[in-house]
Amino acid sequence: MSLFSRFMDGWRKYRKPGYYDEFDYHWTMAIDLDKCTGCQACMTACQAENNIPIVGEEELARGREIQWIRVERYWEGEYPNAKLSFIPIMCQHCDSAPCETVCPVSATYHNQDGLNTQIYNRCIGTRSCAVYCPYEVRYFNYYDHHWDSPLEQQLNPDVTVRGKGVMEKCTFCIQRIREAKDHAKDDGRRRVQDGEVQPACVQTCPSKALVFGDRKDSENEVSVAINDPRKYRVLDELNTDSSVFYLKKVDA
Amino acid sequence: MVAETNNLGYTDIHEDVVRSIVKTGPKYYIALATAGGTTLLCFFFPWFYQLYYGIGAAGMNHPGVWGTYLASFIFWIGLSHSGTLLSCVLHLTNSSWRKAMYRSAEAMTLFSLVVAATYVMVHVGRPWFIHWALPYPNQMELWPNFRSPLMFDVMAITTYITGSTIFIYMGSIPDFAAVRDRTSGWRNTMYTLLSLGWRGTDKEWHRLHWAYTFLAVLIIPLAVSVHSIVSWDFAMSIVPALHQTIFAPYFVVGAIYSGTAGIVTVMFVLRKYMGFERYITKLHFDNLGKLLLVLSLLWTYINAVELFTSWYSGTSEEYEAVGFKLFGFYAPLYWEMILFCAVAPLLMFSTRFRTSFMPMLILSIVINIGMYTERFLIIATSLPRQYLPDAWGVYVPSAVEVSIMVGSFALFTTLFLVFVKIFPSVSMYEVKETMATPKLGSVAPASGSPA
Amino acid sequence: MTSNVVGVFADPQSALTAAGNLKGAGFGIPELMSPVPIEGVEAVLGKKKSAIKNFTFFGGLIGGIAGFALAAGTAVLYPHPVGGRPIITMPPYLIITYELAILFGILFTVVGFLVSSRLPAIRNRVYLPEAAVDKFVVTVPYDDDDHFKRAEAILSNAGAEQIRQLGEED
Repeated sequence: MSLFSRFMDGWRKYRKPGYYDEFDYHWTMAIDLDKCTGCQACMTACQAENNIPIVGEEELARGREIQWIRVERYWEGEYPNAKLSFIPIMCQHCDSAPCETVCPVSATYHNQDGLNTQIYNRCIGTRSCAVYCPYEVRYFNYYDHHWDSPLEQQLNPDVTVRGKGVMEKCTFCIQRIREAKDHAKDDGRRRVQDGEVQPACVQTCPSKALVFGDRKDSENEVSVAINDPRKYRVLDELNTDSSVFYLKKVDA
Repeated sequence: MVAETNNLGYTDIHEDVVRSIVKTGPKYYIALATAGGTTLLCFFFPWFYQLYYGIGAAGMNHPGVWGTYLASFIFWIGLSHSGTLLSCVLHLTNSSWRKAMYRSAEAMTLFSLVVAATYVMVHVGRPWFIHWALPYPNQMELWPNFRSPLMFDVMAITTYITGSTIFIYMGSIPDFAAVRDRTSGWRNTMYTLLSLGWRGTDKEWHRLHWAYTFLAVLIIPLAVSVHSIVSWDFAMSIVPALHQTIFAPYFVVGAIYSGTAGIVTVMFVLRKYMGFERYITKLHFDNLGKLLLVLSLLWTYINAVELFTSWYSGTSEEYEAVGFKLFGFYAPLYWEMILFCAVAPLLMFSTRFRTSFMPMLILSIVINIGMYTERFLIIATSLPRQYLPDAWGVYVPSAVEVSIMVGSFALFTTLFLVFVKIFPSVSMYEVKETMATPKLGSVAPASGSPA
Repeated sequence: MTSNVVGVFADPQSALTAAGNLKGAGFGIPELMSPVPIEGVEAVLGKKKSAIKNFTFFGGLIGGIAGFALAAGTAVLYPHPVGGRPIITMPPYLIITYELAILFGILFTVVGFLVSSRLPAIRNRVYLPEAAVDKFVVTVPYDDDDHFKRAEAILSNAGAEQIRQLGEED
């Protein structure tokens, strides 16, 4: 092959919008809001699994809480005819993520599992990703947090403890995904099977409102869920192409 | 045109400028010590505290992750926009009133840029890794992400600092040479090195003229691009009220506006305290006043357009953001900004106002207060009001932030005070050009004794 | 060591006249030193050309190419998908191209200025400190006494205040 045609091949490959290679997996979550009771067990599970610091009362009042997943509450109408609805919001792992383009040091990028990753070591703390994220799910470490004894004993050894000055957010429990992929490889299997990976929030949901899996296989539970007619994505009009689908029967 | 300087001779300006460099009174040392001390106390101490403690020392919180640090960054970048840019435009259009003031205006550019670059370090969470944002080959084989508007900033501001340093230096070479011959000791060594052996031959003047003109041509589009790029840090996000196409011209006009006001302030101080009454005259204030007036009208227009665009979009997010800006928590600041930057400058329609020094000084400071408010509001009213109402909040600056802001002004003053003792702060050769040439045989006796 | 006749003038017009006469008398092109650029030098001593514009142009060109190569090249060396954009993303890379074109243009202009004006000066050259204040100085090299006398005559006819003899090494 001549040098010129090699150059042209490379040019076409790297000028292709979207991803220059197909994903190995396409991890997706579906959240059935009709099943969600707003119990916030997912928040607690996430806190325990991912070593999320507890900032304390004072810092909470100043708006520096860290919650990778939060249950937003919206009230409609006036008491006594008030209606309350819940929506759990975590990182939506957008395929066209606004936060990724803005990071000057590429500390956040898309990996081969279709996940929006955050590399704590590389982060220099410009906080621009938090500004660019329309879902407001990126949380910043304003201090070095520590865990009073004996709480440090319950830290998850599979997850880092983040220092001051870095951004953090939901990873879809990437440590569990990695583990499942390792198992799959050890067993000589080629792919992770449906139901083999569950992030902490999915695992803990008492009403099974959260479903997680690989969207690439149309037989998977999550693929069925996201083809439900009730499905929608939060702020879909911003073209973020997010990987979290919500199911909700809308009152006409 | 420069009527008042026409009575002065070549030697007068030479003596005045050399005197401004070598003769230093106690007042200068008091000013320098005050400025330097304030810098240390209000800028560096709080910053070190913040480095130790984390960004939490500032008032930023969850929706408002950006704060006054970035507002100050834009403010200082904006202030830098009049010096070199104005000087280039006036050089290319052959405006002779530029000549007495441009050196200090360019110094203002340079030092505001230095302060702005320092603010980047103050702003980021882990400044000890800031070099990762520079493109250099490294062992990790990782490069910066050139798609990021923040990377455009890095490239543009580096270019801008380099460009304006070179521009001010190029223009000063003949003056360094002139001062070199009149100084002794370490000053002489320094000016000998800085002047590169300039002799003022016809060939050197010709080369300098062309090099300077090409630099001016290159720096004008550069300066416009720098502030457009700063605006894209905001406009390329999808935050309601920030995601607007008007932002680039808005920032450029705002930058030139506040920069010109800054020049008026600096001119006043130089005139009053450095003894340049004879070179910086009413004419300069009059012309700068006209420029300021035009810029204030442009600024008002763009603000109106911004509000109109938000209203015309018809989306609830934009309505909410505009409502919060006009009538929300920071509404008093918004109306203060309108009063200071859109209403007060209308006074400059009067020629008497433009040609009186004290009112112009006060107005120039008022305009810059208004412009700082503008930059603060851009950040503080839009980020806490984004798409999801559950994540709304209010951002209020902390004492550390306020102190660092005050300290940054002291830092700027310190740098400027050092500058006036090193650089000839009025361009001698260009002021000389505006004067009548010396009369034949007026000064030295003509005795032809071969050496 | 070459010696130079140096004439000091109080006004640019007589300095120019002297320079023109020296040139006319076959002394080569005399050098003028002045505190300000003198208008009309080119009419007397011939048109000047400098290579600075070529430096600026090619600097800008090289900078533009280098800028695009930096942005696109580094993205290809370590490709990681970002925000669903292609690896070579045109609009942002063109901004990098633009900035580097200007940066290199500026740097090359400086180099062009230094090269074409033969600065920084390594060795001493003919110089009078008055030329930086308010005097206009004409210098021209001479070979022997006869030459010197003729040059002196031309200079004093044009109204020189002072005529001196300076070597390059002074």
